[in-house]
Formats: sequence, C-alpha cells, structure tokens
Amino acid sequence: MFNDFLFLASAALTLGGAFAVVWVKDLMHACIYLMASLFGVAGLYACIGADFLAATQIVVYAGGVVILMLFAVMLTGGASNKTNRYGLEKIHAMGNTKTKMVAGISAFVIGLVILKIMVSVLKAQPVSQVGANENSVEKIGTLLASDHILAFEISSVLLLGALIGAAIISRPRKEIHD
Amino acid sequence: MSTLNLDVYMPVVILIILALLVAGGSLLLSKFLRPSNPTELKLTAYECGEAPVGTAWSNFNVRFYVIALIFIIFDVESALMFPVAAVFRKFMSIGMGGTLLVSILTFVLILVAGIVYCWKKGDLDWVKSFVSQELDKK
Amino acid sequence: MNATIISYLSQSKEFNLIVAWFSELFGFDATSFVAFNLFGVFALLLIGFAATVGGLGTFAERKISADLQMRQGPNRVGPYGILQFLADGVKLITKEDIIPAQVDKFTFYIAPVLCLVGVFSALSVFPISSGFILTDLNVGIFYFLGMTSLVGVGIFLGGYSSNSKWSMLGGMRGASQIISYEIPVTITIVMMVLLAGGMSMGILVSSQGSSVLDWNLFHNPFTFIGFFVYFIAALAETNRAPFDLPEAESELVSGYHTEFSGMRFGFFALAEYIEVLIVCGIATAMFLGGYKVPFDLGTGELLNQKLGLDLMLAKNIGQFLEIGSFLTKTFALYYVVIWIRWTLPRLRVDQLMTLCWKYLTPIALFNLIGCAVWIYVFNGQSIVQLFSLLFKSSGGGH
Repeated sequence: MFNDFLFLASAALTLGGAFAVVWVKDLMHACIYLMASLFGVAGLYACIGADFLAATQIVVYAGGVVILMLFAVMLTGGASNKTNRYGLEKIHAMGNTKTKMVAGISAFVIGLVILKIMVSVLKAQPVSQVGANENSVEKIGTLLASDHILAFEISSVLLLGALIGAAIISRPRKEIHD
Repeated sequence: MSTLNLDVYMPVVILIILALLVAGGSLLLSKFLRPSNPTELKLTAYECGEAPVGTAWSNFNVRFYVIALIFIIFDVESALMFPVAAVFRKFMSIGMGGTLLVSILTFVLILVAGIVYCWKKGDLDWVKSFVSQELDKK
Repeated sequence: MNATIISYLSQSKEFNLIVAWFSELFGFDATSFVAFNLFGVFALLLIGFAATVGGLGTFAERKISADLQMRQGPNRVGPYGILQFLADGVKLITKEDIIPAQVDKFTFYIAPVLCLVGVFSALSVFPISSGFILTDLNVGIFYFLGMTSLVGVGIFLGGYSSNSKWSMLGGMRGASQIISYEIPVTITIVMMVLLAGGMSMGILVSSQGSSVLDWNLFHNPFTFIGFFVYFIAALAETNRAPFDLPEAESELVSGYHTEFSGMRFGFFALAEYIEVLIVCGIATAMFLGGYKVPFDLGTGELLNQKLGLDLMLAKNIGQFLEIGSFLTKTFALYYVVIWIRWTLPRLRVDQLMTLCWKYLTPIALFNLIGCAVWIYVFNGQSIVQLFSLLFKSSGGGH
C-alpha cells in the first residue's frame, strides 16, 4: 500500500508541478514549481528501485540546476513586477490564455505520440524493475568502470568543455581603449 | 521477480510531512497567540530608519552566475564519481584495482585541468583587481 | 544493506507478537502498517530530539560565548538558565507576524518552510546507532547531500522574497556561499566513499574500528587533512561564523532574514542549529568512528558472552552505548563549532570565495587523488596497520 501511495504522491507532484510551471504568471514561482516537479520525478525513480538515480536527481537537479535557473532569472531580470521595484516590463507570454491553449494542444499531441510508442514497447516484453535486494549503486559502478569506461571518461571531457565554454561566455567583454 | 520493498523510504516521506506539519502547526499556534496591530510604518521595508529609495536589485553581478555554473559542473562530476568510488575496493579485491585507479585519475585530472584554466583566466576571482585588468589590456 | 530501524526491531519477539496481533485483526499482513506507525513514532522522537538539541544549542551558544567573554550567560530561567531556550521559543511564537507590503507572498511563506523541510528530511539518515538509524539507505550520504542543498534554495528565496536591498544581497551571497562550499564537501565525501567501499551510513561507519587508532581520521594523512577540509567547508555551508556574511549583523542588518519576524525567523534559526548538529554528526560518522564504542561493546556480543544476558537485551544495551558514544563525539564537535564562532572574525566575501575555490577545492582534489593512490599502493591498510606490520616483521626477525 505504501508503494501505491508513494507512486501516486510522486506522480501528482510531478504533474502538478509541471502544470503549475506553465500556468503561473511569475517566473520565480515557476522555478519553485519546477523544483517541486523534479522532486516528484525523484520519487518516481525511487518507486521503481533506482535509488541512486533518485538521489542524483535531488542533488544535481533540485539542488543545483534550480539554483542555476534562479540565478539566471535574476541575471536577465525576468522576475516579478508586482511592485515597481524592479522597473521591468511584464513578460507577456507568461500565464497568457494563448500560451495555455498552445501548451494544451502540444501536450495532447505529444501525449498521443508517446502513448503510441509505449504501446508497442509494452506489448513486446514484460516491464522489469530492480529486484528487492539488489544494490543499484554497485551495479551502476561496476558497469561504469568496466563496460562503459569510455563513456565515463568522455563525460569528463564533455564536462570540461562545458566548464570552459561557460567560463568564456560569461566573461565580461573587455573593451579596447586607445 | 520479487516485489520491491519501498518501506525504506517511509521515514523520508514521514519526515517531510512532519516538517510541513510542524511548520504549519507552529504558525497556526502563533496566529492565536500573537497580537496584530498593523501600522503604516510596519509595512514598509527596513532601511535603517530611512524611507526605502530605488529598486531593490539594480546591479546583478555576473560573478554569481559564473560561480553557479562552475558549481554545477563539479556537482555532476562528483555524482558520476560516486558509484565508481563505491566499487573501487571491490575491483581491488578481484585484482583490477590498477585499471580503475587509472580511470579515476584520468577523470579527476581532466577536471583539475578545467579548474586550473578557470583559475588562470581569473574566473574564480571575486573582485577583478584593476591591476589584472590593466595587464589584460596590454 | 537497506536496513532500517524496523529490521532491527523485527529481531525481537515483541515486535513479531504485535505484527501477528494486528494481522489477525486486519486480515492481511500488517507488517507495513506496524512499520509505518513505528516509523512515525520514531520520526517524531527524532524530530523532538533534534529540536531540543537545536534549542539547547542556542542556550549553549550563549553560555559558551559568555564563558569565552568572561561574563555570566543567561541564568534566570530555570536552574543555571537552562530553560532559556523555551522562553525564547515562547517569545518567538508570541511576536507579531509583520509581513511588509512589498514582499512576494508565495516565496515569503515558502522560504522558511523549505529550510525546515530540507533539514528535517536529512535527519532520516542520521547515524545515531547501528540499529536505531531511521533508514540506512543505500545512497545515504548522497541523499544527505541533496537535502542540505535545499537549505540554500530556502535562503535564496528568503532573500529574494523580502524585496529589500539588504535581504537580496544577503540571499545572493548566502546561496553562492552554500553552493561553492558544497564542492569541497562533496569531493571529501567521495574520498571517504572510496575508502569505505559504499555509500550507506552503515558501511561508512563499519569501515572503521572501535578503538581510536582505527578511526578514519588516522587512516592516512589524506583523510586527516580531509577531515579539516570537510569540517571547514561544512561549517561554511551552514552559514555559521566566521562565514556568516549572509546574515552579517553589522553590515546587512540581518541579511536574508531581516523581514521575517516571529516564528518564521524561528524556522530559519532552528534550521541553522539543527543543520550544525547534522553536519557534526556526519563528520563523526565519517571520520571519528561514528557510533562505534571502544572494545566493540556496541554489538552486544561481548555483553552476551561475558555477562550471559539475553541476546536481544544485550543488543539493546549495546545500541544505547552506541548512541552515547555517537552523541559524545557529536557534541564535542558542536562545542568546537560554537567556540570557533566566538573566536574568529568574519571573513569578507571575496576572502570567502577565495578560500573555497583556491584553497579548499584544490586541497580536496589533491586529497582524493592521494587517497586513491594510497589505497591502491597499500591495499587499503591504514598507517597504524602498516606500522604494526613493520614492528611485527622486524620483531619476528630475531
């Protein structure tokens, strides 16, 4: 019974958070609802036994990417305009009726496509999940260290590229004075 | 296929719910116990006794964002390192410790190269000194 | 490996009797139901304990700071002023809740609650003893890392929602401080996971022995330095002095919690003190032998064999000894944390960032590399074991 409760709560959090991200007018509030949605996804990972993935989701996404997004929103000045403290223009596309209609239609279409794909996958083989006593961390570690060692190393090169790229892009432009 | 035992996560869910209940409960209790005399002055922002002037956030500095970017890179790196570090002893016991050590060292050293680059280019400086800017221009 | 307090209790006859009784009552297997109720009870106990320690932490802080500054601390309320924290709590509850007009209401309500949720849910892997740990997740230490980053989000939102210059600056600085210092913490934790061979709290603690020489602190010079790196970085993560720039009292009035009054401020303060407790607890678990009792009394086997006690009773006594050992070490570290606050001056914000990125992170990376090489070269043995091998071989030579 707790399995069902955990699944329902995580699914509700994911869907509710995602829905709220599109619905609200304030960009900062949307970031907070996004964090709630990511927590829901972590709960869904926990439901199928992928505990390491759930913890990674919380650490990297809810604890890292959300803060990055909040900083980015502050940087680009897209925050609330309820009071005139920021002196910024209203973002017209947020919480608009047109936005909601477009979002609804695209969600419907994408949902149909995903269902079509899922039906063919589900008919092919039974859905498996991690067994009760298996240690997913050890399995992932063993695979990363033996079968997928190249992917492991290349991911570090990818991270290096991201680091240097981000540092270069966010460097202030130096003006050449003569 | 044995069913998954998710009872392990019960304390997590219980504690999150309890935290929300404690927060809500104490605020509710406080609502009954506290006075409520809102005045015009109390509703303004605190600015050491003067009336607040200007917008709250006019000068966002890019260095906050750079720090957040570097943080996320290292966060993902450590998230990738964790499972490999957890099986290191196991690999040593079957004799493959050397290869895994080389893999781990390569992984870490590539990112050390990244942080050395950021250090040299001054991205880790919180305050860009005038001297370094002058030298960069030349 | 995914042991919980229920799996420890299910060894006893009384637990099985209760489960059987409920199963008869309900008609289906009541293990989950009983587990849920027991989890609820123990979670409440743990929250109560943590909140009390948080409250007593405020009192201890005032008394210790008074001792350091050669004056009396609070000594009116209760014997030696020990009930002062209750008086503070009552004061906070009865303060008027002033919500300024310009705040962003939704984030204003959420920010203190986020801090509290993050800190309370990190308590579920708090390693007080081998049997009474609420849940010994396979990814215990990683989960703890994730939950403490929620506090950073809470601080940022607290600063942002107040819509005032002081709070905004305090919130931004607080969030960037927390995320910066998470990197040395995470890298040091990776090093300890490398040493212990697993990510769960049980494995981290059981990789150490019972006597002082078997602690991870003295395993190799890299873990020794790593303890100090972890302690300093984790202290900075909790926004305690000398790293308390976000709430710098003399500069930013009160930083990100300027506009919060009454119980909302109480949540921020309580979250800070409980987070210090958690950080000290994790430091003892990783470096100072955790809940291990000297002479291995914690497992209860010695008591069972020598004194002939019933196995379950011996185990329970062992558990309480383990709790005692863990709390002694944690509170010793807590004292050091309070001591540091009233001894060192506050760091400037650029010194703060320099310390993290130019000192602690390179040292942590160097420790990680060094520890991995040490484990490989010496096959995971500690300095103590190497010395004893040396003496044995030289002694057995003649």
